[in-house]
Amino acid sequence: MPAAATIKVMVVDDQTSMRAMIRRSLQDIGFKDVRDKGSAIEALNAIKSDRVHLIISDFNMPDMDGLQFLEAVRADPVIGKTVFIMLTGSSDREIVQKAAALGVNNYVVKPFAPAALKEKIERVFGELE
Amino acid sequence: MRRVPIIQGELSVIAEPGVMISTLLGSCVAVCLQDPVARVGGMNHFLLVQPESNRPLSASDEQRYGVHAMELLINGMMQHGAMRNRLRGHLYGGANIIAGLAAIGTSNAKFARAFMETEGIEIGRCELGGTLARRVDFIPYEGRVRSMVVRDVPPPVIARAALAEADGDVELF
Repeated sequence: MPAAATIKVMVVDDQTSMRAMIRRSLQDIGFKDVRDKGSAIEALNAIKSDRVHLIISDFNMPDMDGLQFLEAVRADPVIGKTVFIMLTGSSDREIVQKAAALGVNNYVVKPFAPAALKEKIERVFGELE
Repeated sequence: MRRVPIIQGELSVIAEPGVMISTLLGSCVAVCLQDPVARVGGMNHFLLVQPESNRPLSASDEQRYGVHAMELLINGMMQHGAMRNRLRGHLYGGANIIAGLAAIGTSNAKFARAFMETEGIEIGRCELGGTLARRVDFIPYEGRVRSMVVRDVPPPVIARAALAEADGDVELF
């Protein structure tokens, strides 16, 4: 059973309020090492130099969207296997299917409760302590 | 001028001239955003989730629904060429009209203002609070907005926005 406190997380969303909310949810679950970036490009650079175990990324972002971000992560020989969870809107069925094809580990539909986020993370990492 | 009426839980994004978005507000809040360069604007109309019976609503629950409502509006505008750093907004509503629901109007208004400040979006007109209903007309292409007090108070809406299903309808895992 992995300890949430040992998992390093990168949260990526262009909306400050959303990042703050996700950070709080993760801290409530027990995560201690949570970083965040307002763009996928910034996040990609950051995790290449300081790796994380889990990426939680919005889909709808300017410059580089969530799918492009996922593709860039998967194509990288060093960080390519990082767990990637995508945040989507309720009507994004096509996006989820594309993300699945690109190797997303799971997805969460907004708006979500912390318990739903925890469940999706646990489906990848196993039950958290 | 073509009129697009919206009600609670809806939003509209327009990037063409000759269109006016209108709504009628009581305790709800409407945020009108415009990008004057892309000439796109949008309005939403939201009420933070209501408590069921006597169950108190947590601040984080309120925050979750409000942030989501705003994200949908901003994303809709960005799909029409708007840029976040050019957005300017007007805030309306959040009146305390109905006895017993007083805190809801205040809560909605407080959220809307805090959201704009957190996101760094300039606030233009801000008519929040009070005890009277408002009608808001917004011409997105021009960024012009007006509001007026109305005596026909919208019926109290005790709608509970449902959390998204933990799983969508696409089964991956």
